[in-house]
Amino acid sequence: MKNDLWVEKYRPTTIKDVIGNEEAKTLFIEWLENKRPTKKAVLLYGPPGVGKTTLVNAAANEYKFRIVEMNASDTRSEKAVNRIANPATAFTGLDKFSSEIKGNMLFMDEVDGIAGNEDRGGVNAIMKIIENTRTPIIMAANDSDLEKLRPLKKLCLLIRFQQTRIPLIIMALKKICEQEHIKYEFEALEKIATNSQGDVRSAINDLQGLSEEGKTLTEQDTLAIGLRNKDISMYDTLKGYFATKNIAEAATLLNFSNVEYDDLLITIGDNMPRRHTNPDNLAEAYDYLSQADVFRGRIGTENWHLLKYVYNNLAQAAAVNPESYKPFEFISPPIRIITLFWTKNKRTMLTSICTKIGTQCHISKYEAKMIFVPYLRLMLQQKKKAPPLIEWLKLTPEEVTFLTSLKMF
Amino acid sequence: MATNEEALMWVEKYRPKTLETVVNQHDIVESLKAFMRNPKTMPHLMFAGIPGTGKTTTALCIAHELFGMQNWRNFTLELNASDERGIDTVRERVKDFSRYSRGAFGDVPFALIILDECDQMTGPAQTALRRIMETSSRTSRFILICNQSSKIIEPIQSRCAIFRFSRLDRAAMIEHLKDITKKENVNISTEAVERIVDYAEGDLRHAINALQTAAAYTDGAAVDEKIIAQVIGEASPKQVQLMLNKAINGDFMEARRVMYDIIGTYGFTGAEIIRQMQKELFKISYISPEQKAELSNILGEYDYRLTQGANSDLQLSALLAQFTKVGKSLGESS
Repeated sequence: MKNDLWVEKYRPTTIKDVIGNEEAKTLFIEWLENKRPTKKAVLLYGPPGVGKTTLVNAAANEYKFRIVEMNASDTRSEKAVNRIANPATAFTGLDKFSSEIKGNMLFMDEVDGIAGNEDRGGVNAIMKIIENTRTPIIMAANDSDLEKLRPLKKLCLLIRFQQTRIPLIIMALKKICEQEHIKYEFEALEKIATNSQGDVRSAINDLQGLSEEGKTLTEQDTLAIGLRNKDISMYDTLKGYFATKNIAEAATLLNFSNVEYDDLLITIGDNMPRRHTNPDNLAEAYDYLSQADVFRGRIGTENWHLLKYVYNNLAQAAAVNPESYKPFEFISPPIRIITLFWTKNKRTMLTSICTKIGTQCHISKYEAKMIFVPYLRLMLQQKKKAPPLIEWLKLTPEEVTFLTSLKMF
Repeated sequence: MATNEEALMWVEKYRPKTLETVVNQHDIVESLKAFMRNPKTMPHLMFAGIPGTGKTTTALCIAHELFGMQNWRNFTLELNASDERGIDTVRERVKDFSRYSRGAFGDVPFALIILDECDQMTGPAQTALRRIMETSSRTSRFILICNQSSKIIEPIQSRCAIFRFSRLDRAAMIEHLKDITKKENVNISTEAVERIVDYAEGDLRHAINALQTAAAYTDGAAVDEKIIAQVIGEASPKQVQLMLNKAINGDFMEARRVMYDIIGTYGFTGAEIIRQMQKELFKISYISPEQKAELSNILGEYDYRLTQGANSDLQLSALLAQFTKVGKSLGESS
């Protein structure tokens, strides 16, 4: 059970189940039903975790739209926007007549990410698409980013979302506890809800992180979460990550860490041998990290929906044998960067040597490194025979010194 | 650029200059000689085969025969696909070269472009290469060299006459090495020569380099098996072996330190390191064939993950951790 994220498991699939923001919901539905045909696009804005994305998904589900999603993380340039959005909005689709699906609905989540890069033509592309669209276009953005969206505001119906009210969050938490058979003190739920500052998603994540099967969730337990700090540094992320007790806790932490995932992946990888001394545990944890890295690789430049599997594997790596945890000193910055920094001169010199060998002997630098360097360094150690060879290869004195003292790979 | 007469690496000094003297590839040489009698009939060529079997040598011999020992460099462009930074560089250099060499001498039918390690090129780069071959075919002939022809896209293969270079046979290698020792006045036993040939696994350049090193060691005295063993030992990938041994014997931290040492100094990619681990793994004497197979499968899995993943040293660390784990269970079971 701990493997499923409750935020996903209990995400409402119907409009009426989306809690709070009744006024915004009504406005949105009216727009969708074409009762306000003035604008072709709508912009939902408000703080995170209050149900913007959930509402769009639920509405699509009820009104039988197929959502074509465009996430800011990958599609920032004009070309990318057009590639996805144009086909989605230009045609109403043949299957409109043949199936239940009414048509496409273009949903641009985190639209500030697209619009924020004006220099790449993303905004203009979106505006053009809104002008020509035949299907509904929905955009969502965070409060704070509204200023960036100025050019778009004129073309959209603006719908504001508020923080979800605390009692509503408590009710949602209660419902989840009942379904998951978790016993709880009411004060504990109250504390989690208040602490979330109206962010339903974070409240549910906290609940999942704190509750354990078969144990009553007490107010005492909630003291651990403290006031939600949405700006978790690398150090704090590592501290929480390695001390984590289960996957859910790790997932929550990763969700709120603002450390860039590439840095995080590498730094966790560097520190993992300090966390586990038992070879079995280390191998298991590294296996998850390796898979996280595989997903990171598969993301490439556009498959950002795979990012959740990176985090999923990171969380699983954290939860290997949690009982064995003992505090340890973290190392950073990454070993790779330090190593490559200190050895840069060596590699530059080796490349220069291999280029020279390659030119004289008609081979690539790689072959020079593999088949010639191992022997040449030994030949040059024989001082009597070395000079003509050095001259023929046009090696500098520094290169000769480097080669003769070079360890075999 | 130095001419071959001055060459001091024996590999280069004793590189065959004419098609007749190419070692152990008689059938190929015969077919190529037919083209040489009427160069205008020569199509694009592709030479495929494992390293050190004479592909580059044969290509250079063709250049010698077509243009003569004095002039061949003026009409031959040697490029290495793994060294050139991209297909655009290749295109530019080929374009410039074929333009410049066209009007140079009247009786030369075309310029020769030797492109080595073609199988390192990506699919799109190969497609671009195909186009280059087409547009410059009036003025140039290509000799494409690769280890595996299957890695070359079909359209290129179909434009070339393909020649497959087989592994050099033992006797031919021994003969060639002995020939060199005679010319260099190296006093060496037959057993020592055989030892070198066995170690080189069909790569003649490897063998010649080992021979030259051994000769430098003894400085005129007789070269025996002991010295050969010493040279081979010194020139074998000691750090890769150390990394493997440390990991299998449970010292993950030390294994990883060695790994970073190798990466730092030599700039190997993850795949290159795994390739060497694979080779060295099978030389380890204290683990059984079954255990080697198990470890080899792990190498295979991580070799694949490397192609998918984003951080090669994270993958290599995970690989070493797996080796440590398996190594521990080997220790327990024996």
